[in-house]
Amino acid sequence: MSGRRSRQSGGGSRISDDQIIDLVSKLQQLIPEIRSRRSEKVSASKVLQETCNYIRNLHREVDDLSERLSQLLATIDTDSPEAAIIRSLIM
Amino acid sequence: MGGEEDDDDEDEEDALVGVVISRMPPPSSIKKEFLKKWLVGLKALSNSRSSSTSKKEMSVLERKKAIKLSADVAMASLKNGTTSWSRALIQNASKDGNNRTLLKSMLGSEYDKKLRIGSTTTSIMCSKGIRNTTVLRRSCGLRRARKISKDQRVRAGLMAKRLVKKRTQVLRSLVPGGEYMDEYSLFEETLDYIMSLRAQVDVMRRLANASAFSSKS
Repeated sequence: MSGRRSRQSGGGSRISDDQIIDLVSKLQQLIPEIRSRRSEKVSASKVLQETCNYIRNLHREVDDLSERLSQLLATIDTDSPEAAIIRSLIM
Repeated sequence: MGGEEDDDDEDEEDALVGVVISRMPPPSSIKKEFLKKWLVGLKALSNSRSSSTSKKEMSVLERKKAIKLSADVAMASLKNGTTSWSRALIQNASKDGNNRTLLKSMLGSEYDKKLRIGSTTTSIMCSKGIRNTTVLRRSCGLRRARKISKDQRVRAGLMAKRLVKKRTQVLRSLVPGGEYMDEYSLFEETLDYIMSLRAQVDVMRRLANASAFSSKS
């Protein structure tokens, strides 16, 4: 482990406050809930909460889309050209 | 698998990519790469089951799980092992023996190599669990203009600390491999993970819309 210069081997002491502030502001910009209110001060716990909610929503979307695709691909219309392509690739 | 069949597959694949990306703003190359990898996974899965059974015998639930797994693994593999969450995701997927065929077909010869890299990094990271939430709280700029008593300040600070700690734990459970990361890495990985999830959802939605378009309502 000696000689490794990656951030992760710094043991916490080399991570500056500025870097964490930078990360948090990036997170803020990314989350739709908070982004529009950037001028206001948003608390750390709020950022974390919205981040978690956002990830959970994305997970749910993946799940719903997988469900939807599973049903669609089972009942696809055999006449359209797109269907033929999709079916030959996936079925 | 003769040469002719491969050419046909490529043409059809390009056509499908064209169908999926049409009608909406052009997607990034990452999304295109994701779609191609995802299709590899979907094809491999249906092939393994189609020997004697027809496609209809695979239940909707089974197909859904296969679709979801292929999508997750496809997105993670695009990272080429450069992020913790992608390594953790693939590692977790490989723990289930049923997934072995799929993972092998999607990741190819890199499959075993990726697993070995992943386990080494994870054990190193285990010892780096840092729980310092003070900097995180301060970085969000809690600066009150009005005066409040020191007592209130202390209590508010403690509560904030507890909330941040609790929510950081939740975040760890949502990001693959999050339990082993130090706070800084966790946020970095979270950013990357969210970007990847958004791209994944976008492509999956496009495919779903294209499929819906081509089936009778």
